[in-house]
Amino acid sequence: GDGRTSAKHSNELIAYKSVNELPPPREMMIQVDQKNEAILLPIYGSMVPFHVATVKTVSSQQDTNRNCYIRIIFNVPGTPFTPHDANSMKNQGAIYLKEVSFRSKDPRHISEVVQLIKTLRRNVVARESERAERAT
Amino acid sequence: MTDGHSFNNISLGGRGGTNQGQIRVHSEGILWKKIGGGKAVEVDKSDVLSLTWMKVPRTNQLGFRIKDGLYYKFTGFRDQDVTSLTNFFQNSWGITPEEKQLSVSGKNWGEVDLNGNMLTFLVGSKQAFEVSLADVSQTQLQGKNDVMLEFHVDDTTGANEKDSLMEISFHIPNSNTQFVGDESHP
Repeated sequence: GDGRTSAKHSNELIAYKSVNELPPPREMMIQVDQKNEAILLPIYGSMVPFHVATVKTVSSQQDTNRNCYIRIIFNVPGTPFTPHDANSMKNQGAIYLKEVSFRSKDPRHISEVVQLIKTLRRNVVARESERAERAT
Repeated sequence: MTDGHSFNNISLGGRGGTNQGQIRVHSEGILWKKIGGGKAVEVDKSDVLSLTWMKVPRTNQLGFRIKDGLYYKFTGFRDQDVTSLTNFFQNSWGITPEEKQLSVSGKNWGEVDLNGNMLTFLVGSKQAFEVSLADVSQTQLQGKNDVMLEFHVDDTTGANEKDSLMEISFHIPNSNTQFVGDESHP
């Protein structure tokens, strides 16, 4: 969808413009919304969206009790190669969500989520850096 | 006819996800009961500190802040319920609910607000999410700028979410002045 991209300025990636654009509430589990380039995290009974461009890394691991864990690390200022460094100038005084970790009952769902986030993130980062290059 | 209003399909949100139930709002307080029995929440209106409405995807959420620091969130109210209940709270309880807005922009930077037991992460003065500090088992300072909150593992209280939050950490840059030397920060 190229119609959406016009509303997006570089460094100002917005997942949703209004509450009603969010996908209908389903099961309380991590979801990936490819169309809006967002991940939705279940936090205290609500699905909380984050644009995939805020994600730095995502990883999963499994323990001996068949519990599965997923860890999502977000971009924060002060780390090398942070693509959002323009924001750290703009957002002086802001506090950043840096990391979340979840335990899941479903390892297959988690490995799928990790793959989806990685692919989506790669595509968005490639597109944005291409756009930045063209702009210079 | 007894006074008050009853609503079906109202879910109580919290640490373990959400539970469906029925709520009755009456002149003395509220009573929420889980479908099929079990959990119930009863709040006396004299214990209510404040009420909030928030538009969430496809529906509305009613928040009760209670005197002992607890906070209850009920989701599933239609737009017309918001109007009628707001009138009811004003006329019968003498409390006007505040309106809160949900942040859906997907940004990971904003402000942290501490109120009672609740930690709220705000993006552009809209609420992105809330967690209860009562469920935090441990806090750790990592380096000079990062604060990590670990949550109790909840295996018992009817957790019905597939993925459960275990840890969350915030990065507080040196440029932040809100929490400089503030020992009350978690």
